[in-house]
Amino acid sequence: MNEPPSRCLQPLRVFYLEDNPLIIFHVEQMIEDLGHVFVGSTDRFEGIERHVAAVRIDVALVDIDLADGSTGPQAAAWLQARGIPAIFVTGQERTAAQHRDVCTAVIAKPILRSELAERLESLRSRVK
Amino acid sequence: MIGPPADDLSALDHVLILAPYRKDADYLGRLLSEHDIRVLVGADAESLPEALATFPGVLVATLEALTPAVLNEVASHLVAQPSWSEMPVVVLLDRTSPDARVRAELSRIWPRSRQLFYQRPVTPVELVSGVQSALLVRLRQRDVRDHIAREIELRRELNHRVKNILASVTSIFEMTLRGASSVGEFAEDFRGRLDALARVHSAIFHAAGETVTIREIVDLTFGPYYLTGEDRIITSGPSIVLDREAGTTLALCLHELTTNAIKYGALSRASGRVRFEWDLSDREPRELTIQWRESGGPMVEEPIHAGYGTRYIRSALAGLFGRKPEIVFDADGLRCLAQGASSRVMRNR
Repeated sequence: MNEPPSRCLQPLRVFYLEDNPLIIFHVEQMIEDLGHVFVGSTDRFEGIERHVAAVRIDVALVDIDLADGSTGPQAAAWLQARGIPAIFVTGQERTAAQHRDVCTAVIAKPILRSELAERLESLRSRVK
Repeated sequence: MIGPPADDLSALDHVLILAPYRKDADYLGRLLSEHDIRVLVGADAESLPEALATFPGVLVATLEALTPAVLNEVASHLVAQPSWSEMPVVVLLDRTSPDARVRAELSRIWPRSRQLFYQRPVTPVELVSGVQSALLVRLRQRDVRDHIAREIELRRELNHRVKNILASVTSIFEMTLRGASSVGEFAEDFRGRLDALARVHSAIFHAAGETVTIREIVDLTFGPYYLTGEDRIITSGPSIVLDREAGTTLALCLHELTTNAIKYGALSRASGRVRFEWDLSDREPRELTIQWRESGGPMVEEPIHAGYGTRYIRSALAGLFGRKPEIVFDADGLRCLAQGASSRVMRNR
């Protein structure tokens, strides 16, 4: 039942802000299946600078509600100011829509692999 | 315009007085103030929208205040009221006013208001008790308003949580499917993981504060194995209260460690033992340590491909503690050690 990871010529380095470890775990595996690189995660906006300083990040997936409150939009704005595009991955589509200016796309939960693939793909063609 | 402070505008506990004669307005204002009722005196029709925007609890108006412009302003305020609101209106009539006609007219043009009529001269006692009971009615309406607001908030939160749980279940499903080599194995693993999720959910829900102790998680995870009469899982640690997310993660990690030990590790042999210990350091910043140690089982070898359990534990504990856990496939038995700031996982973080 295993699917081999697909090959990706120019993989994206993906960081994830999410506080549900099961979802992080799942997304981590999906990202690697898609041939991209999962570079880490954090469950809160607070202290994000440490993570961002430690690894190169091409794109961040960001949930709206994190362990330190509804700080996702703040985190996305923070990342955007540092040239890192953010994609909201959330069950709060309404809040995400209100902060459309700080993200490049919105993915609704539960996350479909095909949707994640598509969003990353369209971002990659823009980034490179 | 004298009135209540701006931060109390939604309290619905003040009275708006409409009386064109200064003497009347002063008298009414003084009378109600003496009885600890806060008042706002409306000046004229132009400033009325502003006065109504403060959401008065009760409107007190003399008959001569009710000019066509005022009637219209109040009418549009009443029409625009939210569904829980029915503003009480106290009207002071004259002995000579056409009582029945005024009542009929006001009930026609002022919908959704509770109208009280007094004929002047009215005794202070009568007027004050009328206004007070109108304010009580208004406070009931305010309770309804607050309940509605809370219900909307709860529904939003519920929706958020349901989505989160569905996402968790989807993740468990997908990840279990990846690792399974047969439908039977898939069914067993998936059921086990959902059961673990359901058990910890119940434990957290039963606690009013949405917390769970490590002891409770330990009991609900190992409970079935204590029942076999064999004390093969030894647990110890101080009383530590975890928040909802941390509790759920720890329960799922312990489930993975336990099922792994039963299938391949120490608990697959009668001689095998498991020790699960947790501790909190004394010095600030306080650190929480959890440690799982198996012994007496079959010889352990590190698997070539890490399975769901190992990968999940690594990912989840790293997220929880902000530091990677140490998972050692020691020949004597599996060991798992995780450590991190207690402020990340404990209640009131």
